[in-house]
Parts: sequence; C-alpha cells; structure tokens
Amino acid sequence: MRAWFRTVWPPLVAVILFIIVWQAAVSTLGIDKWLLPAPSDIAREAAVNPENLWVKTMSTLQLTVLGLVIGVAVGLILAFALHFIPLLKSAFYPLIILSQNIPTIALAPLLVVWFGFGLTPKLIIITLVCFFPVAVAAIDGLSRTDHIMLNYMRMIGASRGQIFRKLELPYALPSILSGIKIASTYSVMGAIIAEWIGSGTGIGQYLMMQKSSFRTDRIFVAIMIIVLLSLLMFTLIVLLEKWLIRYKPEQTNK
Amino acid sequence: MSDVTIQEGRPDTPALEIRGIYKSFRERKQQLPVLQDVSLSVAPGEFVSIVGPSGSGKSTLFHIVGGLEKPDQGQILLQGTDVTGSKGHISYVPQQPALFPWRTIEDNVILALEVAGVPLKEARQEAKKWLVRAGLGGFEQAYPHKLSGGMQQRASFLRGLLSRQEVMCLDEPFSALDALTRSDMQHWLLDMWEENKRSVLFITHNIEEALLLSDTVYLFSSRPASVLHSVKVPFPRPRREELIEDPAFNRLKRELTGYMREEQRKMREGSVG
Repeated sequence: MRAWFRTVWPPLVAVILFIIVWQAAVSTLGIDKWLLPAPSDIAREAAVNPENLWVKTMSTLQLTVLGLVIGVAVGLILAFALHFIPLLKSAFYPLIILSQNIPTIALAPLLVVWFGFGLTPKLIIITLVCFFPVAVAAIDGLSRTDHIMLNYMRMIGASRGQIFRKLELPYALPSILSGIKIASTYSVMGAIIAEWIGSGTGIGQYLMMQKSSFRTDRIFVAIMIIVLLSLLMFTLIVLLEKWLIRYKPEQTNK
Repeated sequence: MSDVTIQEGRPDTPALEIRGIYKSFRERKQQLPVLQDVSLSVAPGEFVSIVGPSGSGKSTLFHIVGGLEKPDQGQILLQGTDVTGSKGHISYVPQQPALFPWRTIEDNVILALEVAGVPLKEARQEAKKWLVRAGLGGFEQAYPHKLSGGMQQRASFLRGLLSRQEVMCLDEPFSALDALTRSDMQHWLLDMWEENKRSVLFITHNIEEALLLSDTVYLFSSRPASVLHSVKVPFPRPRREELIEDPAFNRLKRELTGYMREEQRKMREGSVG
C-alpha cells in the first residue's frame, strides 16, 4: 500500500499543480470562458446534468468494450493463422503493416456509405484501430519462442498443436497482453471517432454537438470523460495481465 | 558388473541401435560431411556415453535419433524396430534445463507425460513421488526461477526420467553448471540411475564424467564424426566418488585423454589446411 502510494503521488501532485496554474491563469489573465474555461467552470458544467453524461458515457463504454473484444479476437485469429501458415505470413504481413497508413478518419465516411448508420460501421472502425497492435504483438511473440524449449518439445515428439498450446501461446502471452494494452487505449479513441460519424449517442456525438455550439466548457467535460474511460480500459487490461501471468516475480511494485 | 536387469525381454535386442549413419549439410554449394558411418548400440539398462571434441556433430546425431532430421544413410532401431525419421520414441534431457517458466516444478516434470497423453492425475502422483526422491520435495509448487541451476537440471532430468520411453538421451546436461555442482549432480545422477536402470545415451565432452557414469564409452573423432574407439568400463556398481582416485580409473582416463588430444590436434590442422 505504501509502495503504491509512493508511485502514485508524484503524478497526482503534478496534475493538481497543473489545475491550480490553469485556474490562476484564467482568472488573473481574464481569458474569456468560451475560449478557455477554468477548471472550476468545467466541474460546474459537469455537475449540471450528471444523468445525461452518465447515460452517454455508458453508451460509449459499451461500444468501446464490444469493439475491443472483437478487435482483439480478429487480431489474435489473424496472428495465429499467419503463424501457422508461413506462406500466408510472407504474403499478408507487409499488407497488414501497410494498412496502418490509411487514416481511420478517412475510412469512416466510406464505411457509412457501405454499411449505413447502424452499429456495424462503428464496430468496424474500432476493430480496425484495435486489431493491429494485437496482431503484431502476437505474431512477434509467437515467432520469438525460445528455441531450446522448442527443440525440446520436438525431440519428445510433441505435435504442432501441442507445441502451440503448451509452449508458443504461453510464451507469447506477455507480448500479446502488451498489444492488448495498447489496443485498449486505442479502442476509446476508435469509439469516439465511430460516434462522430454514426447516429446520435455517446460521448463522441456529444462532443460534436458542443463543438458546433462553441460550448468549450462542455468539450472539456467530454475530454475529461474520454481520459477517464481510457484509464479505466487500461486498468482493466493490467488487472487481466496480473491475473494471467502470475509466475513472474514482482520486483518493482512491491 | 550388476547387469542382471538385462535378462528381461529379448536379451539380444539392443534398446537402441544406431546403424551406419551418414549425414552431411550443404553449405554454400559445398557438402559438409558431419557424420560418417556412425554405428553404436545401447543394451537394455545400459549407460552409454559419447565423448568427442566439441563441434563433432554429437548434437546432430541426437537430432537424428530423435527424428528431427533424417540421415542421408543408415537406420535408427529401437528394440529392433526401425524408427528412422519419426519422432516421439525417446525421452530427452537437453543441455539447458529448458523448464517452462510459467509452469510450477511439478507441472514441468509431468510435461513429457502430458505430451504423451498420460492422464494428469496419474502423472501428478508419479511426479510427487519422484520429486521427493530427487531431493526436490517442498518445491513442487515453486516456479523454476526460484531454483538453483543444479536443482533446475534435476527437475529437467526427472522430466525425462518420468516419460515412458525406454531410451533416455542426455545432451551434455551438466555442461552449464559450475564444477562443484557438476560433481554433485554426477553422483546424484549415478544414484538415481542405479536405482532405476534405464537405457541411457549420454553426450559429454568430459572424459572423467563419462568413465564415472558409463558402462560403455564411445569416443568420437573430429568432424566428420565417426566412432574412433569403444571402451567397456570395467568398474563395478554401485560406483562411488572414490572411484576417480583409483589408479585403474586414472590409467583409463589418461588413455582416452590421449586419443582426444590427438583428435583435437587433427581438427586444428584440418581447419588450418
């Protein structure tokens, strides 16, 4: 607990200091509220209609989790397929990397044209954002399997499937989980973009509405919620990691 | 010699027979011969060592015995059955312990049984029994990184010992250990093996180790490897640490060391020329 406190207080103090400086700057320099609202204004705005914000946040969270799950599944299936079939890997791996040069924002309107305003294009966007870090981390982790252990498994006559289940997959697990960690923070961003283009629910849509009415304070409320959502997703994955990988000695944290 | 156990089964059929193995690798359009007419046999319950200069293709021979590679010529016979090029017929103890870090010691020890499809409950029972006997009692639920190098190698050996295959192949299992642990492990292995007489093929480049442990020692030439000499080790079992001070033991050791020097000299000249 004390160690936990020791790692948490420096960033916490930094954040509090930042907020104080912000508040002081806005009031002493007399900056207009529509240009840059003070933290106190943002907090007041957030407290005006918490139910509404809560409903929108839950809607975004739902979309995020669903999208992340699909994205991770697609990334893993892709990685396993490429790992098992080397020809597929040499053919598609460069294409997968190339695919990341297409900005998601540019794809969004196209997906709406193809799939309408329903759930499908939104999930596709989040999947597109999330599958990549997972797939690359998994392919990487799987191909780095310790060759002495691999040699051992082959010498005792383990089948391809046994080698995968008993050696390659657990060996790649830490790597896969760091991929999922990155994907989890991406997933919130993906959900927000998806909501911009889709029909009206969630924080993304709220953000667009406030932008068009110049409600800077509400935009900051939305940003705050997005940051909290990202943190939440990240924390969930870290907990998952702690639960899945119990064999490593805890050296840094405890 | 206490070779009573040889009587069971078909006494004349070796547990493992390596017959006329040739193997070469292609390297930049050149055929590089690695094994040249290697033949040897391991009787049931016999401890056989292969000693040779490093880089003489001993590990390639293991890969062929294990079925990972096919020889250019020759056969591998297990209890008289041709198994050339097929996997899963031997139990294996690699050079490094190669324990899986996410498995507890017990789970590591049953790995070979698991791969062979033995029911988990049965495997665990057997593992528990042997872990205590191997001096690893109390470490069943520990992860490998908590164990010393010697203890990890014991667990690795146990993993090989528990698997059902008759022939155990040990690939320089002690080479990564410090001298003191190594001699400790040699006696531990001697005890474990004398209690449990399996057919063993043991690779080492340490002549003393080979003489202390084995019934038969095969001396390999430098590359391309072939069998230079085979020596029956006459000392009775159970063997003791004091054996290495025995004059007869030292004479034999000196003799073999002489052959090895000769081979190493030849190899150096070969690589210069």
